[in-house]
Parts: sequence; structure tokens; C-alpha cells
Amino acid sequence: MRILVAAKLSLDAGQLKFDSSGHPLIDACPRRMGDADKCAVEEAVRAKEKLGAETVVVTIGGSAEHARIIRDAYAMGIDKGYIVRINEPETLSLPTVARIIAEIYRRTGPYDLVFLGVGSNDTHSSMLAPMLSSMLDIPLLPSIDKLDVKNDGVEGIATMEDGSYTFRARFPAVISITSEANEPRIPTLRAILKSKRIPIQEVSPEDLGVNVERIRLENVERFILPRRRILMEAGDQSQIEEAVGKLLEALRSEGVI
Amino acid sequence: MRILVYADNASWLKQLRGLADKLEAEACALVFDGNLVEEASRLFSRVYYSSLQAFNPLQAAHVAAKALEKCNPDIMAAPCTNKGRIVAGLFSALSGGLPVSDVISVEAEGEELRVKRLVFGGTASASLRVNVPAVLCVSPGAMPEATYRGSIGVVEELRAESAGGIEVEFKAREAVGVEPDKADVVVVAGRGVKRREDLSMIRELAELLGGAWSVTRPLAADYGWSDTWIGISGLSIAPRLYIGVGVSGQPHHMMGVRGAKIIVAVNKDPNAPIFNEADYGIIGDLYKVLPVLIRRLKERGA
Ligand SMILES: Cc1cc2nc3c(=O)[nH]c(=O)nc-3n(C[C@H](O)[C@H](O)[C@H](O)COP(=O)(O)OP(=O)(O)OC[C@H]3O[C@@H](n4cnc5c(N)ncnc54)[C@H](O)[C@@H]3O)c2cc1C
Ligand SMILES: Nc1ncnc2c1ncn2[C@@H]1O[C@H](COP(=O)(O)O)[C@@H](O)[C@H]1O
Repeated sequence: MRILVAAKLSLDAGQLKFDSSGHPLIDACPRRMGDADKCAVEEAVRAKEKLGAETVVVTIGGSAEHARIIRDAYAMGIDKGYIVRINEPETLSLPTVARIIAEIYRRTGPYDLVFLGVGSNDTHSSMLAPMLSSMLDIPLLPSIDKLDVKNDGVEGIATMEDGSYTFRARFPAVISITSEANEPRIPTLRAILKSKRIPIQEVSPEDLGVNVERIRLENVERFILPRRRILMEAGDQSQIEEAVGKLLEALRSEGVI
Repeated sequence: MRILVYADNASWLKQLRGLADKLEAEACALVFDGNLVEEASRLFSRVYYSSLQAFNPLQAAHVAAKALEKCNPDIMAAPCTNKGRIVAGLFSALSGGLPVSDVISVEAEGEELRVKRLVFGGTASASLRVNVPAVLCVSPGAMPEATYRGSIGVVEELRAESAGGIEVEFKAREAVGVEPDKADVVVVAGRGVKRREDLSMIRELAELLGGAWSVTRPLAADYGWSDTWIGISGLSIAPRLYIGVGVSGQPHHMMGVRGAKIIVAVNKDPNAPIFNEADYGIIGDLYKVLPVLIRRLKERGA
């Protein structure tokens, strides 16, 4: 069995700060492999441990931090990694990202399974897995919280707005994994040291025959919806009574209760 | 301009009709739920309907391709729900349209669109210029709900080919009282709520306000206290009133509650980020504040 995992270096949105004019301080924000991507890597390694598989990771981007994503995946147990060298991967259009992953699938395959995170930590479109499934014309198991890989196929359970869906498909298939799917392993020191010796294959979009399209980004700025921001201290009992009284009065005059 | 809209509930049909009106576009709708056909026909002049085997993504792709061929849209739109994002991805791959998710505003400028989307867990917005064809996955509450047109649209049933290759089984969510994504008032418990039993307080408050209760992701995904949660990876809600109790207000949670008219927070940490996004905040211990709030509401009711 062969499994391809796509993992993205993404910003930790919870730690993003803004300057006084509302521009994001992107360079000061920590970046790491997305939470869901990490769970996708974990699922691939578990499938390998259970059934035997060659596991391959791909990431898109040119910096040393991008190479670190591959090393992190190696440390978790992935066998082989491709880095698609391109600068400013943040401004690639989603169809370009999808085509790059599709070409890696075609040119370094055959693969039985492709794992993606259901959404990256920073842009979270969740559209890549359906795009890939349609481009490759193979089944999609979307938003999977619970995965069971068997010798001849997969079963996955997804929670959506209206209930739970169980998907069953034969290979090959594209699967997007949620960050609820598992608890990713923390690599041992030995695994981390070993990961440094595994080579990383470098390819360019030209090698893959992919025409690079960029989005036309004009501006990024802090987004806060105007809210009233009326705060009430409620430390002791009398403050609590007063705060609750004021709150109820306000909610009544807003007409929401 | 022509727009093809996919929606998975009545409110979304109205919001996406609102988008079409804003762009003065001719609009068709695609629905996979028979219960939505009538609603859709009051809002759109043409409705494509197909009943899928549960939500089979392969069938969805086949039907989406047929609808695209018939409608031939410049813009495709879908909600930022689980299924909406999937259909939007399919629309993009099938049409070659550039997809943009988490859209909060759209303006037509000649042949182009100027689109604003949320990024970085909803802490920032990005402005983009986009050519058509484009695929817009719209954030909840971003578009005004349109009203009925007064005429009834034409409904066309599209045949969903049987989809080999993938099998789907569906189990409807068990209704635990009022559904949070349909309620006017939603009370959400966060990790400040320490024990599962304490959820009874949250439930009581929700009942007194005639609303629903829910939780943040850790309470559902890590502790298993609920099947669903509120936020970008769970349900998005747009109630009149949201009350977050012991919720810190991390971006990925707040992204699902942005559509609320009024946001109330109860948190003992004055620096909790939720206070930056709240209309009313009570800085205090939820275990002391909630009993008072509940008592006062009961007094009022009595
Ligand atoms: C890609 C991605 C997607 C995610 N999607 C979601 C999502 O959809 N929904 C979601 O909820 N999360 C989501 N998360 C997780 C999110 O980032 C936060 O971890 C989560 O929302 C935190 O939940 P919380 O507020 O309950 O817990 P915490 O952040 O731990 O906050 C608990 C709060 O309770 C307060 N508190 C403690 N005791 C008391 C008391 N006695 N009285 C009053 N206040 C008290 C504390 O001051 C604190 O502010 C996502 C994360 C990622 C990376
Ligand atoms: N630049 C990238 N490199 C590798 N994988 C990616 C990249 N962008 C997105 N992905 C994969 O696609 C998933 C969904 O991404 P997104 O559409 O940004 O939410 C991610 O979780 C990754 O698995």
C-alpha cells in the first residue's frame, strides 16, 4: 500500500498580533504544521503500522521552515518527502495547489490513499480535498473524524451539521482528516535525530508541468466587528447582583430576550 | 452576470439569494434536499434538484456538473458549511473557477469582483480581486436574507447517477432539545465549566431563555460531553443572542459566532479575548454569576 499526505506550514492564528495601523505582524507569528495535517500524518503512520505501507509527505514552499515540516513528518514515521520549491506559497491560487498535489500523485504514484487536513490553521478553505477528488476522479471521504484503513478499502465517519455520515470506498481515495481524528504522537528523540538523515526530494512546479497562478491580494488587515464592549466587574455578591441586573435590562432593551 | 447557488437550508437559500441581488445577477439554485425545493422556488427563477444517496460526494459531483452545464454561471456560491465547502470545491474543479472561502463581502467592478474574506481564524480580512468564473463560499451572516420574489420558479429534477466507488450511510443528529443552529438564543459552555454535571446550569439558562445550548470544541471533541460544537470546524450560528460561559474566545470558536446580533460573555479573566468581541461582558466566576442570572430570570418568569 502507498499513502500520500499533504501538509502545510501555517500560522498559529491564536498568536497573531497586529501593529497600530491594523496590519498583521506575520513574520512575528509562529508557524507550524497545521493541526489537522498532523492528524493526517498520524493516520498515515498508523495505517503503515497496521497493514504495512510506504508513506510519502508533500509540502509546498521554499523556505527552511517548509523543509522542517517534512522533517517533523519523518520524525513521526513518514518514509519519504517531497518539497515543491516555490516562493510565496501563501499567494498561490487553490487550483494551483490542487494541481501540484495532483501531479505529485500522478508522477510519484501509484498511491492507494491521499490524506489531507480538513483545513489549514490559517486559511482553512476545506476545498482542496473535494477539488483533488474531482481532478483525479477518485472518491472523496470528507471531514473524517474516525478512520479505518483496511487491506482493500477505507471506512470513515464524518460529523456534519445534520448528523453523522459513514463513507466506504475502495482504493484509491482522497480523505480529509479532522483534528479530532486522533492524538498525534510526539516523536522520540531518537526518531527526531534519525529524521535529520532522511533525504528530502526537491521538485519545482516546472518539473511537474504546473502553470503557477497567484491570487491578486490587495490588502490584509485586522478584522473586528464593532461591538459595544460594555464590561462589568462581578467580584463580590453585590457586584454580581448589580451586573446581572444591568445585563438583563440591556438585553431587554436590545429586544433579544 | 449569472450565479448558481448551492444551499443546504432555508436561511442559506435566502442569504445567497441576497448575494445574487447585491450583484444584480440572474440566479439559479441547486439543492439536494427535497424539503428545500419549495422554498428555493420562491426565491429563484430556476431550481435544480436531485436527491442523493445520503450526501454522496461522487453523486454530488455528477449533479453539480449537470447543473453547471444548464445554468452556465459566472459565479458559483455556497455556504461555509461542511457540505457547502465540499460543493464549492467541486464547483471550482468542474468549472475552473477560482474559489474563495469565508467571504464576507463581494462587489462587482466591471468584469471583476472585489472580494473580502476572513483569514487567520477570522482575526483578519483579506481583500482580493477575482476574475470570473469564481466560486464564493460565503461566511454565515455576511449577506442579508432576501425576501420572496412573488413568483414561483421552475423546478428541474436532475437524475443522480448511481455512484459506484463510494457508499454512504447517514445517521441524523439526535435532537437534544432546540438545535443550536436554528435557535434565537444560544448558550455555550467552554472549559471554564469544570464538570459534566455543571452543564445542567447551562441547559437551565438556555431553557429559561427559550434557546439552545452547546459547547466549545474541547468539551465535545476531547471530553465527549456533546456530539457537536460551535466554531469553524463545528456549527456556525447566527442567533439574536449568544452567551459564552467560561469561553476564552479563541479565533476558531469566534468565527462560528460572528453572525450573532448580541454577544455576551461570562469569564473570570478580564483579559480573555472574548471580551474584545463581546457586547456585554461580566467579569466574574461563572459558578457565582450563573446562579444569580438563573434566579433573576426565574423571578421574572414567575
Ligand atoms: C484549525 C482549528 C479549528 C478549531 N475549531 C474550533 C471550533 O470550531 N470550535 C471551538 O470552540 N474551538 C475550535 N478550535 C480550538 C480553539 O482554538 C480553542 O482551543 C477552543 O475554542 C478553546 O475552548 P474554550 O474557550 O472552551 O477553552 P479555554 O481556551 O481553555 O478557555 C476557558 C476559559 O474559561 C475561563 N474560566 C475558567 N474558569 C472559570 C470560571 N470559574 N468562571 C468563569 N470563567 C472561567 C478561563 O478564563 C478561560 O478564558 C480550533 C482550533 C484549530 C487550530
Ligand atoms: N501549501 C500546501 N502544501 C501542502 N499541503 C497543503 C498546502 N495547502 C493546503 N494543503 C493541504 O490541504 C489541506 C486543506 O487546506 P486549506 O484548503 O487551506 O484548508 C491542508 O490541511 C493540507 O493538508
